[in-house]
Amino acid sequence: METTDLNLFVRTSEETISDWNREKIVDALIRETFIDLDTATEISKEVEGMIRKSGVKVVTAPLIRELVNAKLIEKGLEDARRKHTRLGMPIYDVDSLILHPNKENANVPHGPEATNLTLAERIKKEYALLSVFSLDVADAHMNGDIHLHDLGFVDRPYCSGQSLEYIKKFGLNLPHSLSMAKPAKHPEVLLAHLIKFAAALQSNFAGAIGWDAVNIFFAPYLEGMSDEEVKQLAQMLVFEFSQQAVARGGQAIFSDINLYWEVPKHFVDTPAIGPSGKFTGKTYGDYEKEAQRFVWKLFEVYKEGDGSGRPFFFPKPLVHITEKFFKTEGNMDFLYHICDVAADKGNTYFVFDRGETAKISECCRLSFKLEEKDLLDAKQPWRMRYCALQNVSINLPRIAYAAKKDDTKLFNLLGERFLLAVKAHKQKRAFLEKLLSLGENGPLSLLTMNRDGMPYLRFNRASHLIGMVGLNEMVQVHTGEELHESKRALKFGLKIIAHMKLLTEKMEKQEGIKVVLEQTPAESTSYRFAKLDLHHFSPLSARVIKGDISTGEVYYTNSTHLNIKSHINPIERVTNEGIFHPLIEAGSISHIWLGESHPTKEAIADFVLKTFKYTTNDQIAFSPEFTICNRCGKTFRGLHEFCPSPTCHSYDVDGITRITGYFTKISGWNKGKLGELKDRYRNGEYFSKKMLVANE
Amino acid sequence: MDTVKIFYKDDCPLCPSAKKLKDNLKQHMVNTLSYNVGTAEGLAEATFYRVMALPTILIEDDGENLVKEWRGTVPKIEEVLYIVNKR
Ligand SMILES: [Zn+2]
Repeated sequence: METTDLNLFVRTSEETISDWNREKIVDALIRETFIDLDTATEISKEVEGMIRKSGVKVVTAPLIRELVNAKLIEKGLEDARRKHTRLGMPIYDVDSLILHPNKENANVPHGPEATNLTLAERIKKEYALLSVFSLDVADAHMNGDIHLHDLGFVDRPYCSGQSLEYIKKFGLNLPHSLSMAKPAKHPEVLLAHLIKFAAALQSNFAGAIGWDAVNIFFAPYLEGMSDEEVKQLAQMLVFEFSQQAVARGGQAIFSDINLYWEVPKHFVDTPAIGPSGKFTGKTYGDYEKEAQRFVWKLFEVYKEGDGSGRPFFFPKPLVHITEKFFKTEGNMDFLYHICDVAADKGNTYFVFDRGETAKISECCRLSFKLEEKDLLDAKQPWRMRYCALQNVSINLPRIAYAAKKDDTKLFNLLGERFLLAVKAHKQKRAFLEKLLSLGENGPLSLLTMNRDGMPYLRFNRASHLIGMVGLNEMVQVHTGEELHESKRALKFGLKIIAHMKLLTEKMEKQEGIKVVLEQTPAESTSYRFAKLDLHHFSPLSARVIKGDISTGEVYYTNSTHLNIKSHINPIERVTNEGIFHPLIEAGSISHIWLGESHPTKEAIADFVLKTFKYTTNDQIAFSPEFTICNRCGKTFRGLHEFCPSPTCHSYDVDGITRITGYFTKISGWNKGKLGELKDRYRNGEYFSKKMLVANE
Repeated sequence: MDTVKIFYKDDCPLCPSAKKLKDNLKQHMVNTLSYNVGTAEGLAEATFYRVMALPTILIEDDGENLVKEWRGTVPKIEEVLYIVNKR
């Protein structure tokens, strides 16, 4: 070995200072890339020469690595340079990150844990783009043709639907956990298991965790409990979920609880599991009254709100309405009850499961029509665990800019982008498969645990989501009209989504993986796409992009939604947006923004019934706006610049409303969403008293 | 003049008779449009009319108002002609 007289020290990544050793460069190049020993040695000598000439006494390992990279580029060894890349962040960025809040995800509060999360996400994102995905996929993401969601969580599946039955039957017996808990005997213990399990799951998924038929599966535990005790349990459930803000960078758990008034057909004859994980000898159909008692109390809790009367942000209550709802005793009382909450606090999601197709909600707004094999699972509901591995969204307006009003080009490009999204799915799938194959010693050990003859994550059943952003603007560019402006435009929009739907079916046959359409929850994507397109496709893009270009508060209309600003009668909006829903298998939603107005529960109920009966809309939610005062602690209806309380008038206030699918503080929103908030048509006229009479 | 819209798919059991109906109606000079739901155009139109069963046959007047519908069944040509000619 060659010795060197270089009097130089290196600050390594292991927090040590070592003597200069040129061989380390050679070792790294041989280990990490495919270049030959002679070239590696040559590069190491050149780098040594550079450092020697500069006269510095201490160098850092990252600096040496970058000098080596520069040499690799000089020699045209681009592939080797990619492999030799160092992931990290400039000190300036870390500094501002630690000091200032993260605006990318409105759900993350600012703090040391949140900073950790962001730092880790940045590195994993870079890793994903360099190492998990191929260059063409990564480039398409970078330039905004498509968006790969949650790249910072590339080493986890996207979202999942869960069943309480699993912990009821098997207890809480997680890999590597210190203690093993047997199946719960008491409802409070079951609740504790649920919360713990939810937290464990959240660290294994990027997005939301949905829980199926929560009130029905709790029902066998509630026998003999007084109404007060049931209320207390309901309170505990909502508070525990909503306060579980420590799990991931201070981020609340994105959790949905799916609820029913009726016991849906697919669970009526299912043998019920009760205390200690034992079958009670009855079926869930027998527990209707207990299930109803629980769901009623849950909505009492939502109605009251948190300690200061604010709506709970999480868990989101999704009430499924099946045909059987209308034949179930007490249905109208219950409907008024949940509509009262919808009008007052906005929490209620109304999910319409029409006809004979049963559905279970999975994640975010994700729901899947139950297929035959699922209906078999419904007899053993602990098997009902679903997941989506990844979500990829397509930038639709950009396709229209490039197609220049040529139909053939438009559909062709759409097909190309779609194939690219599927390619991204296959790459993520292969990566996850690698992680899962490490089993109980791997990073996703929780998902590989096997308590019922199959791994917890049923990989072969996983789906792959393809979302869309800005259908409205795509149609506007291509036809000259927005979706709500003519039947022709609406039908053209339908043709686009129909084309995508047919492509999912084709992919399933061709690739053997389940690809489904989803309405992207694009809290940051619609802003990102709009910003990029404004830069690259002006002036065409500037004519259709929504929001305020002068302030940079720009956005594309979400998914297949209609223009958020136009004064469309809400029933018409829900009807026309609902036309798209049967094509979007993984779930859709229409938002009815309420702003300050406070409709009666009767008006909401009437609206909900009409939506069920006369439209094909899958899901609706009503979103009021609130202002909370940080000084006096009061909550007010509507968005105010300062506290409306005459004795307070503090400017230290926060606005609260739904960003997309969930409530957050407006102060954390990105510019695109702020632009959208200004534009939202709030349906004040429709829900005012006068219109109410006209509607009846 | 009324328009008959026929929705079908390549592999549904009753669809061949729907296609036959289409051919016969055309011979009778009835304004007939047919949609294959296996194509984007056809699926879009079917979704617009909330077609859940195949085949589905709709009759619309000039103003695109629904006059008569058969969902999941195929009417006899006389039935269709009776409605179209009566108006
Ligand atoms: Zn105040």
